[in-house]
Amino acid sequence: MSNSSNISFVSKARLWVTNNPDLAFAILLAICVYGYFAFSNELFATHRTTYAIMERFAVLGLVGLALTLCIIAGEIDLSIGSNAALAAVIVVRFTDSLGAINAALIAIAISTLVGLIQGYFIAYLRIRAIVLTVGTLMLLRGVSLFAAEEKTVMLTDFTIPDFISTKMFMYFSPASLLVIAVFVAVALFMQFTRYGREIYAVGGARKEALASGIDLKRPMMVVFSISGFCAGLGGCIIGLRSGTAQALGLQYLLLAGTVAAFIGGVSILGGRGGVIGAAIGTLTVNFLNTGLVFNVTPAFMVQLYLGVLLMVVIVFQTGSQMFDTYQRRQQILGDVDLVRGELLSKKRESPI
Amino acid sequence: MNADAPAISRQPKTPIWLANLVDKYTWLVVILVALFVLTFAYGMITAPNFLTWFNFKTIIRDAALVGIMAIGLTFVTLSGNFFLLSMKETAALAIVAFATAMSAGYGFEISFLFTMGVAVVAGALQGILIGLGGNPIVVTLGAAGLFFGIASWWSDNLVISFRRPHGAEWLGSGSFMGLPNITVAFILIAIVAELVLRYSTFGRQVYLIGSNRAAGKATGHENFSMAIKTCIIASACSAFVAIAFSAQVSSAHVNYFSSSFGSSGDMTILVIATVMVAGNSIMGGFGSSLRSSLGAIFISTVDNMMVLHGFNSGPRVLAVGLMIVFSIIVFALVRRGSRVQE
Repeated sequence: MSNSSNISFVSKARLWVTNNPDLAFAILLAICVYGYFAFSNELFATHRTTYAIMERFAVLGLVGLALTLCIIAGEIDLSIGSNAALAAVIVVRFTDSLGAINAALIAIAISTLVGLIQGYFIAYLRIRAIVLTVGTLMLLRGVSLFAAEEKTVMLTDFTIPDFISTKMFMYFSPASLLVIAVFVAVALFMQFTRYGREIYAVGGARKEALASGIDLKRPMMVVFSISGFCAGLGGCIIGLRSGTAQALGLQYLLLAGTVAAFIGGVSILGGRGGVIGAAIGTLTVNFLNTGLVFNVTPAFMVQLYLGVLLMVVIVFQTGSQMFDTYQRRQQILGDVDLVRGELLSKKRESPI
Repeated sequence: MNADAPAISRQPKTPIWLANLVDKYTWLVVILVALFVLTFAYGMITAPNFLTWFNFKTIIRDAALVGIMAIGLTFVTLSGNFFLLSMKETAALAIVAFATAMSAGYGFEISFLFTMGVAVVAGALQGILIGLGGNPIVVTLGAAGLFFGIASWWSDNLVISFRRPHGAEWLGSGSFMGLPNITVAFILIAIVAELVLRYSTFGRQVYLIGSNRAAGKATGHENFSMAIKTCIIASACSAFVAIAFSAQVSSAHVNYFSSSFGSSGDMTILVIATVMVAGNSIMGGFGSSLRSSLGAIFISTVDNMMVLHGFNSGPRVLAVGLMIVFSIIVFALVRRGSRVQE
């Protein structure tokens, strides 16, 4: 009895892995990275480190989520770092006069609005998102320099940073709980609403989706406003947690977020991947970051590792694409041979 | 923009020209361009010391470094491979390589060749991945992190300096017929690039693959070799800029090309901005390196004007950002529905 249930569990697991190869690979990679650091450093697998990883997850997870959605829709949002920096500058600058919640709401509203406008223009002008978002990257940098008056803005009252990183339930803080809630909401949205499915459709097969009557404006506006919202929330969390903000900072988020999204199993061709993948990808990047910090690695080496990781993932994806094309070609050739063989044998059988 | 402004003034001065323009483009575009030209002219006239020969030379000199990189990137953009996000990191790698070789006592020529070799390897690595079908944005984003990490690791994140009589002063601070040598190099590279793109077989292949990749493949011009070649050109241009800059300041650090270089933000984005403001189609096949050079001069002019008016860096970056977004929107509206766009 127990044996049969065991077998069915294994076969179920095998079925799941064949159905979700990307996600299985992401989980495997995450376990490998975590295991490596846990064995090489005894301080790594502790409650405190887990809390620190969750704290990092609060910011990077949002960016990874935003980029995952963008890449699912077949676009990429390069302005995410600038958008986050703008939100951070606004929230830090106005917390003293308006209170943290109001300032954060204003910052998030502005970031979301920026994303919405970007999405509208991308769909209306029918241009690639990279074209417009490079422009807005620069524009938003200018706006945040303007808002910060070219200085590093600072909080004077540090009760809010303390509140944001209070420990709750052993591993979490208000910030990371909020981010997990955002993840759950976006996952439900992507899986169960028409708008979410439209995003997948637009990314995976844009021509077919447009031909079947989807208005490109709606998914683009939804995706980019979620991206703006995530960037804004991430910027607010960073700004309020550290108490300072720089207009030209936070540019490292783009690389880390892209790596997280690609580890989580999105395809650059669009239409693949999901929110769970984004979470796992971000966790992997965080394990790597935190582990490297534990092993006393300079900051630029982290960037090097992330770059190598991204290149490796790209090589794998490109390789699998090439393999797919090769296989399809072989199959077509095989089919042609089959048909030709039949024709030849018929010709031989029939008397002249 | 530069290309549009003379086109307007060349029209005959009757109400018909306006009607024709509006017919051809749209009201929005005409009004936007007119507003822009007016602001530009107003700023030009009111800025103190703007219309002098000396200031003109300053503008061209400021444009030179960004312009050379933009010319290199134009090849990549024209061949339909979008743009490289690793321009400044390639330059950082090259500047570290150059300064290391110079401070080790090899002469200028050997250091130059060594740096170019490093740049060619860096470009070829990205080119191979792009040519195999990797997305250029993601590949070069990864390559950017990789190169920056290697450069920081190599230089230990320190400033590498080399002594003054080093044989490279002529490139950094020398001048030829009253123009700084770097400006002369910019002009020469612009002319050569334009000639290559316009008249050589290679240049026509770049346009072919950029405008119609399927046709290119059918006629035997794969994007694989083209991506490698264009990436190498872009990397070599970055390396040249790095060498010139290093020769000027006799030292090197990985952060020289990062934030707050020149006027606005970082070098990569400024270079991409230059290519886009000039109106090259990001999808490839339309544009020229002359446009990019003029775009660099144009951005430098606006920046210079705002400096003369006494603006801080915030409004200046804002202005460049507005110009990019504005030109993207205008060019997208003008080319709406044409094959060039998508």
